Amino acid sequence: MILLWPILVPAIAGLAVLLIPGRAKYLREAVTLIASTWVMGLAFRLFPLNETLKLPWAGYGIEFALRLDSFSAFILLGAAFFGLMIALYSTAFMLGKERGNQFYSYLLLSVALVNGAVLANNLVVMLFFWEGLLLAMFGLIRLGSPEAIKTATKAFIIIGISDLCLMLGIGLTGYLAKTLTMSAISIPLSPLATVAFVCLMIGAIAKAGAMPFHSWIPDAALDAPLPFMAILPASLEKLLGIYFLGRISLQLYQLVPQSWLSYLMMIVGALTILFAVMMALVQKDYKRLLAYHAVSQVGYMILGIGTCVPAGIVGGLFHMINNALYKSCLFLTGGAVEKQAGTTDLAKLGGLGWAMPLTFGAFCVAAASICGVPPFNGFFSKELVYDAALERGWIFYLAAVGGSFFTAASFLKLGHAAFWGKKRVGVAEAPWPMLVPMLLIAAVCIVFGLMNHWPLHRLVQPVLGHARLEGQDFAGLPRNLFLIVMTVVVLAGAYLNHLFGVKKFGSGLKAVDHIHYAPGLKQIYDGAEKRWYDPYDLGLKLADLVARTGYFIDRMIDWFYETLAPGLALLSSRVIRWAHGGNYAVYIVWILVGGSFVLFLAFR
Amino acid sequence: MSLLLILVPLACLVVLNLHFKQGFIKGAFWLGLLVILAQLAVVALLPTGLWDMRFNPLECFFHFDASVDAISLVVILAVGLVALATLLCAEHLIKEPKKKFYFVNLLMLVLIGLNGLALAKDLFTMYLFIEIAAIASFILIAFRKDPLGLEGAFKYLLFSALSSVLMLTALSLVILFAGGTSFAAVGPAVAASAGTWPARLALALFVCGALIKSGVVPFHGWLPDVYTAAPTYASVLLAGIITKVSGVYVLIRLFVSVFGFDSRIDAAVMFLGAASILIGALAALTQQNLKRLLAYSSISQVGYIILALGCGTPLAIAGAVFHFFNHAVFKSLLFVNAAAIEQQVETQEIDALGGLSARMPVTGFTSVIGFLSAAGIPPLAGFWSKLMIILALWQAGQSGYALFALLASVLTLAYFLSLQRRVFFGKLVPGLDGVREAGWGITTTAIILALITVGVGVCFPFVMQGLILPIKALVVLP
Repeated sequence: MILLWPILVPAIAGLAVLLIPGRAKYLREAVTLIASTWVMGLAFRLFPLNETLKLPWAGYGIEFALRLDSFSAFILLGAAFFGLMIALYSTAFMLGKERGNQFYSYLLLSVALVNGAVLANNLVVMLFFWEGLLLAMFGLIRLGSPEAIKTATKAFIIIGISDLCLMLGIGLTGYLAKTLTMSAISIPLSPLATVAFVCLMIGAIAKAGAMPFHSWIPDAALDAPLPFMAILPASLEKLLGIYFLGRISLQLYQLVPQSWLSYLMMIVGALTILFAVMMALVQKDYKRLLAYHAVSQVGYMILGIGTCVPAGIVGGLFHMINNALYKSCLFLTGGAVEKQAGTTDLAKLGGLGWAMPLTFGAFCVAAASICGVPPFNGFFSKELVYDAALERGWIFYLAAVGGSFFTAASFLKLGHAAFWGKKRVGVAEAPWPMLVPMLLIAAVCIVFGLMNHWPLHRLVQPVLGHARLEGQDFAGLPRNLFLIVMTVVVLAGAYLNHLFGVKKFGSGLKAVDHIHYAPGLKQIYDGAEKRWYDPYDLGLKLADLVARTGYFIDRMIDWFYETLAPGLALLSSRVIRWAHGGNYAVYIVWILVGGSFVLFLAFR
Repeated sequence: MSLLLILVPLACLVVLNLHFKQGFIKGAFWLGLLVILAQLAVVALLPTGLWDMRFNPLECFFHFDASVDAISLVVILAVGLVALATLLCAEHLIKEPKKKFYFVNLLMLVLIGLNGLALAKDLFTMYLFIEIAAIASFILIAFRKDPLGLEGAFKYLLFSALSSVLMLTALSLVILFAGGTSFAAVGPAVAASAGTWPARLALALFVCGALIKSGVVPFHGWLPDVYTAAPTYASVLLAGIITKVSGVYVLIRLFVSVFGFDSRIDAAVMFLGAASILIGALAALTQQNLKRLLAYSSISQVGYIILALGCGTPLAIAGAVFHFFNHAVFKSLLFVNAAAIEQQVETQEIDALGGLSARMPVTGFTSVIGFLSAAGIPPLAGFWSKLMIILALWQAGQSGYALFALLASVLTLAYFLSLQRRVFFGKLVPGLDGVREAGWGITTTAIILALITVGVGVCFPFVMQGLILPIKALVVLP
């Protein structure tokens, strides 16, 4: 029964927050913090356990089954940690913003739903919690601004469609395995299993935010309240999406490295890395840039898991938690900048490093982690992914490394444009409820890097189990020296590129303009600005076309029944009326005609 | 015994015109009413055994072979009903007692003619009674001696004359090859000489003559003008029964008992029936005069009967006779409503009417029943007869005609709904505030006819047993 607590506590707290009147100062923040802390405590307590819970639910094999194994415990811990950090951060960020009740409520609800989804042992139960996140996401985005409803709808539709694929995949999986209990499913690959896997994969990677399901994230970065960005796309959704991807790759389906599913995942991962980071490179808004990076980093995770070799899977999962850490930290710094400087437009920022030193420090740590600078955590997880990618094909390795190059370039640009330069007056450091989470998460980034044996041994490697690890242990420095050298070369190259750009164009913001306006790339970027490539917009245009065609056909049918048929009838009626003029002779002629007709037929 | 149906009205006619004429002027109505009710009672109550009793007081003078089969029974019933309706209408519409007296006399004459037509078993006898009924109707049309009525009477006279010419020519041809005109003589003669030109020509000419009398396209030119010109009580009689019996019944008799079904003539008849349905319905859509609209509607409904007749199967003939009866009832009902409007509002122009059911609820309600029956809406009587016709067409393989008949119901519904909306529903036209419901005679008639329509429809199984199935047994296919 203890397994129900991580779900019930935040859910009830979330509902309770809705009931708190706005006048009760700080009461809702208190409730939120207490609930988050409690969940954190529960996560710690549950961590070493292995529990199951089974309650009857809907019949037909759909029972309310929960299970706590090492993977679930890992995600539970991560989700609780991020929930608490963001809750603390939000107390300062949402101060003075209206509809705070709803915000905290949705926040707690998201934590409850994520907990339910990772604990679920029955596919339908998991689907129930998974889809529930759609509502929390929609609600949270909508709170950002009055115009945010369009982005909220867009996110809802994109994730909703991928959730439909997920539903289809779950249906097929249940059919193939003849059961819906996740711990009992293990399906070998076959044509139908491949289709089911692809459907499930679409659901998982869309939640995590990979291409082509990503287009709502940059829009939400501008429209939604910032803590939403930090908690959902950056951390919780990645945790959930990659968790499920891991589950289906490792447990539910017996994936082998040679299968074309593996290649599919690797290609999707590689393309996501590259395209997203190219888009991130040219952004001129702090939050949008970070949003595109969030998309890009998912590519590493998918690539890692897709390699189906132990190094890759470990790397992918480790990257998942690392990314959640540094990405949320980066978003939190963005929020601090937004709150203190009043804008996130990079052209208007500058010199914040002197005014907000602690924020700048957290930013530096997180940026270094995301670029893969040793000895931070990003370096280690990326090295594992490089290792696996190289093992599966040099082209994947090239894509991953290229992504790192552009990542570094864009963060150099971001840091330079926002924090470097003359000291800015009138801007103070962020308040402590915002600083504490940032610094704490940055500290964890450092710890996960320097002491990476702890997360790897306690969190990630237990997921694979001894059999799959094939006896390898990935803690400590990477063994392949070639990879380390390549990484350093790439980072140095990025730094030099940045210096070149600054010298050529004069400011940190324009440091990558030589890439932006390069001959082939310029047209592509212009098209992206005009939203030519957004699948959502294209889908909307198609739906509009179908609707117009249907309307036109309906008009035609209406015209036939309302104009043509009655018109013809009335016209003939008037003609007949005119013909019956009362003239005897005319009538007698008619009789003659009729008579001839009868006689003709009689004697034919 | 069936001869009484002719002799009793004749006796009444004689009695009315005896020396004590003065006294009978006031009582003429009641005497006429008595005769008609007696006819209805006889049809409804007397067991069939009594029909076959030979009773001819004038046997020594002439031999009249009269017998009643199932079709004749339906005709006599219809004649009685419509005559009743006419009498009750005329009671209120004709003001002078002397005119009422003349009217009853003419009505008796019509009864003689139509009953005789129903009982006749000889072609020439049929022609004779057609003429008797026609003469009475000429006078009835011109009853008010108004220019329109006189012109209408003349038109009817002319076209009846045309029809008579055709029928007499056919009769002479029949005598040529059959040696006599009774059904018993002609039937075998036709069968023996099947395919030869005298028989076919005789049939064709007789059919043309009958078609003129029934008002089938393209022989129908006189019908709208005459129905409109006649006073409404005469229109009830004309539309309800005279046209039907002297035209349609004659055709039915020809096909069933005399000449049999010739496939070529049948094809022509079906085509003309379908054309009547279409043209009648289309013309009715934009009519401005109430009676003219009802006249075109009659053309359309007669088209259904003729269509079924041309089909020729037992079910089709049964459907045709049933529709004949139903049409007599609902068309009379609609004309009675027109009479009510004419009496109260004194106009027949639809444009001048509107929202009448607020002031004339009975008329409005019964007209709804009348037109629903005409359009073939369950559970009214018209639905069953139309259903039988369409089913018979389908079963006979004439699916095109069956679908056409089905779709034409849409047109029927269209013009009737339009009529109903323009005349009865909607807002009351300002000038009609003082209008009140029509007199007791007309409303009673309307209610009775409406009840019959509804009753026949609802109690269809009994009607089926009693009236329709015997008709089917009569029809013997070649």
